Amino acid sequence: MRERIDGVDFAVDEHIWGHRLYDEQLPHLAVMEFLGVLASNREAPLVERAGEKVRYRPQRQIRLRSLLFNNPYVQTVRDRPISDSDKWNQWEALFLADATGHGDKDIAYLRDTFLSFDDFAKAVELLRSSAFEARSNKRWSSKFIFPFGPDALYEDLRVDASGASNDRRFFARTGEILYLMLCRAANGPELGERLVERLFVSSAPLNRLARAMQGDAQSAQDPRDVGYLPRGSHPRFDRLCEDWLAILSRDMPVYDALEHLIASAGINLLLYFLESAKSESGDTEPVEMVCEIVSRERSKVRALSGDSYQANQALSSRAVRASVDKFLLTPEWEAALNSSDPSGQCMAALRDQFQWPPSESDDEHDYSQMIGADMAALLAEKALSRHEQHFGKIHAAWSRSIGLSSRRLARRTRYAPNDRLLKSLVIAMVDERMQFDDFLHEAKRRYGLVIGDAEGSHLIRDGKIDQEALSDNRDNLESRLMSLGLVRRLSDSCSFVENPFASRGES
Amino acid sequence: MTDSAVGQASVIPPSSSWVRFLRTYGPTPNNLSLFDEYVSAALAKAKVSPIRLHSPQLPKIIERVRSGISGSILIAGTAGDGKTYHCRSLWTELGGDGCDWAGPDLIKRLSLEDGRVATFVKDLSELGDDQGDEVLELLERSVLGEEDREFLVLAANHGQILERLRSLGLRQGRSHPLRKPVQDAFLQTGPGHDRLAVFDLSKTAHRHSLEESLDAVARHPAWSNCAGCSLDLDGRVCPIAENRRRLLGEGDGRLLAKRLGDLVEIARHNGAHLPVRDLLALAANMILGHPAAREGLMACADVAKLQQAVDIERGSVYSNVFGANLPRRRTLSRPVFRALTALGIGEETSNAADGLLVYGADDSRLLEPFQRLVASDSIYGSTPTYRASQERYLEGEEGARLDEGATDFLKRLEAQRQRLFFTLPDGEAAFHYWELTAFRFAGEYLETITALTDRRAISEAVRARLARGINRVMSGLLLENTDKVFVASSGGFTHSKISVLCDTELPARRAPGGLGMALKLDEITGQPRIDIAIAHGANGIVSLVLTPIRFEFLCRVAEGYLPGSFSNECLEDLMAFKARLLRQAELSRMAIVEEEEPLPDDGTLTLNFIEIEHNGHGFSKPIAVRVAQ
Repeated sequence: MRERIDGVDFAVDEHIWGHRLYDEQLPHLAVMEFLGVLASNREAPLVERAGEKVRYRPQRQIRLRSLLFNNPYVQTVRDRPISDSDKWNQWEALFLADATGHGDKDIAYLRDTFLSFDDFAKAVELLRSSAFEARSNKRWSSKFIFPFGPDALYEDLRVDASGASNDRRFFARTGEILYLMLCRAANGPELGERLVERLFVSSAPLNRLARAMQGDAQSAQDPRDVGYLPRGSHPRFDRLCEDWLAILSRDMPVYDALEHLIASAGINLLLYFLESAKSESGDTEPVEMVCEIVSRERSKVRALSGDSYQANQALSSRAVRASVDKFLLTPEWEAALNSSDPSGQCMAALRDQFQWPPSESDDEHDYSQMIGADMAALLAEKALSRHEQHFGKIHAAWSRSIGLSSRRLARRTRYAPNDRLLKSLVIAMVDERMQFDDFLHEAKRRYGLVIGDAEGSHLIRDGKIDQEALSDNRDNLESRLMSLGLVRRLSDSCSFVENPFASRGES
Repeated sequence: MTDSAVGQASVIPPSSSWVRFLRTYGPTPNNLSLFDEYVSAALAKAKVSPIRLHSPQLPKIIERVRSGISGSILIAGTAGDGKTYHCRSLWTELGGDGCDWAGPDLIKRLSLEDGRVATFVKDLSELGDDQGDEVLELLERSVLGEEDREFLVLAANHGQILERLRSLGLRQGRSHPLRKPVQDAFLQTGPGHDRLAVFDLSKTAHRHSLEESLDAVARHPAWSNCAGCSLDLDGRVCPIAENRRRLLGEGDGRLLAKRLGDLVEIARHNGAHLPVRDLLALAANMILGHPAAREGLMACADVAKLQQAVDIERGSVYSNVFGANLPRRRTLSRPVFRALTALGIGEETSNAADGLLVYGADDSRLLEPFQRLVASDSIYGSTPTYRASQERYLEGEEGARLDEGATDFLKRLEAQRQRLFFTLPDGEAAFHYWELTAFRFAGEYLETITALTDRRAISEAVRARLARGINRVMSGLLLENTDKVFVASSGGFTHSKISVLCDTELPARRAPGGLGMALKLDEITGQPRIDIAIAHGANGIVSLVLTPIRFEFLCRVAEGYLPGSFSNECLEDLMAFKARLLRQAELSRMAIVEEEEPLPDDGTLTLNFIEIEHNGHGFSKPIAVRVAQ
């Protein structure tokens, strides 16, 4: 019996990928949501007990986020030629007039916290400037302070007259899924310890500043269950976990490591999405992404990487169709068709499998009068149309967000990794140094990235591209990495990818 | 063609056969004669003496064998570095027979006077798997085992040998024990192995090999045949002879060769490797290049035709340096031209230089330098065709200045900038030759290396500029401080645009044993290196090796101009440096917390903000925050 998913009209995507992955929850938002779950489970991080749902109670920190993102008056008041206490008074009046009343009315403690209003204004500006998407035009309650530590974490909210509620606009459970994936990775608990130890340092200066601004912590009323992830294990979960452990072991400030954790979460989530789609449609070939390394010269790889992008873009809707079609070949369906009440039994079978149709009839259709095949066709149609709304956009949205795809210098989107992503890959993959060709090989093995002629030999064999073009592409990557300070070249035949943050020896 | 031109061409010029031989050294699509294997035959055909290069590594290799030290010899290098040449020379030196060498065996054995047997493999890539394994087995025995009677002389390029060792290891289910020592020897990151002598031909000093290659070509005895050649007499100028004269630079103290040496040094420090084969190709191309000739390289027979067509100047030695005579694709396929064109000479310019080239003839204030620097060169400088093109551009109808119409003049302008780069005298105050490149501070870069190598103090202007550049990169603020270095953070990501939190403040000139910034010479790369000591002890130092690109980047940031074309990638590079500094600061703070007596937490948090005075001078100002427990 499949797990029942609440709050959905039917469950198709959910059983392929989980409940749920969401296109608008870009990888950094997934990681933020993940950190909330992690913080709430700090005592036993990344541990999922058999038969028990992982639960968490997220923080809301209404005061902190209001002060940062719903507080446009600080700078104006600071610049006024008036005394410090007048500044405080004027600002307080302005701030309280706009306050939501959900725990942001009591701000008197701020005067004790900061020696002067100017100091307060400076601190606000500092925290604001480091925020994710500080300049976006999102609602203030969907803006996030940099996760400096446990006090700087809170969930996405809708705040209006009726109260503060979690409407899952940007925290749509992808972070919960990420949490489950890492729980189910072989080294999950080890990673959990490591993350808590590095990221949740209460004494970190800027975490203390956030705490000073927030005052006492504010949390959601009740703990809640995390979403649903169909697979108990998956090589991708292990890969993600290993990447994160590697990144955390690098000799770099942990706040910088976060950027690479996000990129790594992004590419691995994306691959999980594509891989699950493939396996649902019975395609056993590994996922492959042909990447153009953009250079000054025009390259034939561009067309091919565009094709590769398109092919992958089409995988998820094919999986949805396959998911329904596949069911029609099962003995359950066969039995329903051959029963004395085929319509009724088919309806029951579909409901068991996909939670649909919800009732015998609705405004548009009377399902009890429909034959099974039509019912299934209708479900497939509905599922595909819902799929296109969000699940179907994941590949495009996430790959662009992590800098894997781009339309730069081209009319259509293709895989063309940017510098930042390349750097994250090096940091995740290279312990100290790795021969360049090994690096290319490893990038294909781990992430399906096809860049050089050795990795794309099958494409050359099939006449899709000539060797020279891919070999130039390889050389372009080498020079790109070289100018990023990530490749050291011995001669034209031999170079090494070097991690500038190689972990220090135990000494 | 007129009768007289036919008449001239029918007389075979005296150096024809030498020039034809030299052409094969040039960047033709199949310059086979640059492979050691083909040289002997070609020499015999051309009846000229070979182009000889001194090879500084050869005596060392011979000495190693003669010393009788056990173990093997690995000669590594890129295609064109002369691996085969070195092997063959060693073979002959040790008494090997030339005919045996020319024989078809890929593995050759030679019994030495001291009773040992040397096994020669001149190119590992020629061997199949079985033979390759056999050779590597001998290598392992002689280096790691007890084998003292037999040793290997193996030539291979870096990638091949590492790859062979890896795949052999894989097949044997182990990580090959020689791979790490060989890799360390290549990267100079660890001690090699006593019984394995690695001679890396790609590490040879470049300026030196360039000069030698230029000399070997330009001073070859066969040129003496040119004396009295009618193509270079009576007011006629043979571009081949002219280019050679300029390359020899007898009138100007070899300025061309010197400047080219600087360029090669800059390219090398930027990571380009230029094998000897390429340097010879460059030398041949400089002398023989002309876009109208077959394959872009002149033979003596072309000269009369070019003179007749008044088309000498397109064979300018100054443009040939950058492969302007070759189709673009072919230029880019050669490391040497790729590296040299990347320096942007011809495209980059300064207002002063372009003013001189465009208006110099008509502007009374520029007339003197124009006469001296441009008009004085009637062959490649202000020629009648250049002046006509310039006239059209300045005085002609509107179309002459628009896209298509201006192409001819702009192309000539590029050639003139290239010429100026190689001919502007040192110390020409108004026109500085490095301004004509993408690396305006390259002169100071090379100067800094020289100073550090000679253990002299580096220029204070350079230190100040680097400090200012670092401060600006660190903070994202337009700081003017040159006496101290701010290690700053944004609080969040290191690469945030602005970092106003001052983590640590350090002097820009480190006192002995103290903290702060110092400039040193990196022993391995021979490049300048910024060392910032953020804590005491060897672990407290964070270093940044300065390539010309990084140096340029920092200097330009310090001067406040960074054209958009300048690589954003350098910034990434420096951000990594900043991140390592912040990490080091974090680690030393943690160490202090662990080592020192714990202080009571008074609930106060102090944050140091960088503030800027009106003159751009930054200072750090603390703010205190009371934090509830």
